[in-house]
Amino acid sequence: MEQQISPGKSWYDRQYKLLIVIPIIILIASIVYISFFYIQHNDFIYKDVSLSGGTSITLHGDVDSAKLESDLKLQFSDLSIRKLTDLTSAQPIAIVLESSAQPEELKQAIESSLGYPLTDDNSSTEFSGSTLSESFYKQLILAIVISFILMSFVIFILFRTFIPSIAVIFAAFADIVMPLALINLLGIKLSAAGIAAFLMLIGYSVDTDILLTTRALKKREGTLNERIFGAFKTGTFMTITALFAVLPAFFIVTGLPDSFRQIFLILALGLLADLINTWLTNASIIKWYCEKKGIN
Amino acid sequence: MAKLTFRIWLLIIALILAVLAISPWLSLEKGVLIKSVEKNSTFFNEGIRAGMTLTSINSQQINNIEDYSRVIGSIFPLKEETKITIIADGNTFIIFTNETLKIDISALPTSKIKTGLDLSGGARALVKPEQSLSSSEMSDLIAVTSNRLNVFGISDVTVKPVSDLQGNSFMLVEVAGLTSSDLKDLVSQQGKFEAKIGNDTVFIGGKRDITYVAKSGQEAGIESCFQTDSGYVCRFRFSVYLSPEAAERHANITSKLSLNLSSTGYLDKTLDMYIDDNLVDSLFISEELKGKATTQISVQGSGAGAAKEDAFNSAQENMRKLQTVLITGSLPYKLEIVKLDTISPVLGKEFTKNLILLALVVFAIISLVLLIKYRKIKITLSVILTMFSEALITLGIAALINWNLDASSIAGIIAGMGTGVNDQIVIIDESISSQRESLKEKIKRAFFIIIGAFFTIIAAMLPLFWAGAGMLKGFALTTILSVSVGILITRPAFADILKKIQKE
Repeated sequence: MEQQISPGKSWYDRQYKLLIVIPIIILIASIVYISFFYIQHNDFIYKDVSLSGGTSITLHGDVDSAKLESDLKLQFSDLSIRKLTDLTSAQPIAIVLESSAQPEELKQAIESSLGYPLTDDNSSTEFSGSTLSESFYKQLILAIVISFILMSFVIFILFRTFIPSIAVIFAAFADIVMPLALINLLGIKLSAAGIAAFLMLIGYSVDTDILLTTRALKKREGTLNERIFGAFKTGTFMTITALFAVLPAFFIVTGLPDSFRQIFLILALGLLADLINTWLTNASIIKWYCEKKGIN
Repeated sequence: MAKLTFRIWLLIIALILAVLAISPWLSLEKGVLIKSVEKNSTFFNEGIRAGMTLTSINSQQINNIEDYSRVIGSIFPLKEETKITIIADGNTFIIFTNETLKIDISALPTSKIKTGLDLSGGARALVKPEQSLSSSEMSDLIAVTSNRLNVFGISDVTVKPVSDLQGNSFMLVEVAGLTSSDLKDLVSQQGKFEAKIGNDTVFIGGKRDITYVAKSGQEAGIESCFQTDSGYVCRFRFSVYLSPEAAERHANITSKLSLNLSSTGYLDKTLDMYIDDNLVDSLFISEELKGKATTQISVQGSGAGAAKEDAFNSAQENMRKLQTVLITGSLPYKLEIVKLDTISPVLGKEFTKNLILLALVVFAIISLVLLIKYRKIKITLSVILTMFSEALITLGIAALINWNLDASSIAGIIAGMGTGVNDQIVIIDESISSQRESLKEKIKRAFFIIIGAFFTIIAAMLPLFWAGAGMLKGFALTTILSVSVGILITRPAFADILKKIQKE
């Protein structure tokens, strides 16, 4: 590696402050999008019934969803139907019907459309009262805020310097905002488990930032660029293997519960965002900081 | 062979303990598990109890549920009184009956790992009292509810208090093998206590008829314990004070009774106690009480167990249940079911099957990626071994603390494994970086990074223990467990293994 980075002004030395522009643009775009989303929907996300209240009925097996939809759409205007398919065999596994209706109403309507009764063996029913769901949602948002504050404390205690700590925390913030915008853009309805995944992201995404900051500030070998580049090699490899642990979980476990998969989708999006935020944003800030402080 | 360090030994011991805790050999056992036996049926009276392992019916070996269904299908329904020989827990029970079979069974557990409701199937209700309750009121509510479910002969039920970040308290009821409408009926139904002599009601639970129930001191407690053929029995007694009206009713009803001929000193009818119309206890009435308007009566009962301590605890629990029902009568709080789920067991099976496939795919892909990057089989193997150890030890702890693994708990284990690999990459990359620093220094820096990452994960997951009435507690718990296992056991061992590999 020593040969690749010349001791004089390399491309990275000249351009690193510009690199930060890319993540900043994405972050601003995400925030603007989420703000518009909030104005439009009066909320930050699309919520599934576990967060908005209502009934979710899962019918197991190969069920004709088109007939169900046409039969039920009139009675339940907010009905949504999702089909779940096994990725390995391409077989339909189940369909999920969600509505704000009471479980008995929805169940009866489904039974009369299908022509057979729903039992333990062919279906699952989940009902959440609207007050409870609203309080769940509020608490999970509160949990994210608390988590973020606790994580920030840990980072400050770890590094005990202001700018490097703020850089890590800023990267973690961007790691949450970017996937959130993408999830909204894809029109995915978040479940309680999905929000828990965002919490996980707070803890999961900062380890590469800690690696970078530690190598840059505490390692005594090599030049600053070498240390940052070394951290980059280790860190990207970490993120890639983490993606390899998380993506199969999203693709393979197409059985239920559906919320399980959402956790892994969000973690994967967060890890991708982390590649940008650690190696463009955080790395540039730490390099600038080290140069100011004369840490080489 | 190189000498193993203390940390490697610690890992080996943790792995052995985890396997012991999980007990995978349980899957080799043959038979079916008796889940419940209807009270007062011939089967119950002969001594067959929930929790026993049934291995044979009429000399036909029962290895699994299929065998059971086949044999039962050939015997039932019975037209006349028939002899049935059942072997359970090694004991032979001979039953003469013309009843239908009043036993519920399920497959034997294949290990000590318990799965959550969303994987094993069942019904769950989250119940919120309309007013806020103190913790003792909440425990009364829970006692009344579990009592009621037990009275109805429902096994596999857990009733526990949960609270959330906003200070709301809930009661969570989880039942395997029950539909949500049954559960809804049971939970929202008012508990009703009645004490009857014959068909006449003497008093009912609640403030109107009962002025005071002694809960401790000289008027309440365990009286005696004695040994029986099958273990120990402890008897309890406590005093109940009745209102004058209830005492008057007692006098009127008992004045019409005559003396018991078979056991002297008692009247010919008993005082029968019912909860929601199910008989829970019958007390003999002393002949001195005949026609008397007594306001103080003594309620007795017992509890049994294999050891004296078990019998004592069981008696105490039964006493507490009875006291609660007498005091509260019906449920004093208006309840609202805020969440009600029924999960089909079919879906969980599919999920478990997919999980095994998932584990294999993840291990294979990560091995390949590591092999391409480091080009060393030994390093790759030790990373995979560490990942596997972490998952195994986490599962072992879950089995040990009787944690019900639900889907989100499993997601937590997978996420924990992901961070585990990350940490190991940090250790490897630090240790193979250039030679100027000592290996010890490099490992030390690696651990600074790892410990930092560990605390941020803990900080991030901590609020989940409370948010949303603890419904996502499993996710937080298994993630924290698995990263803790990582930092305390597997990571130090991995660093030592790596040192050995480097030296070679």
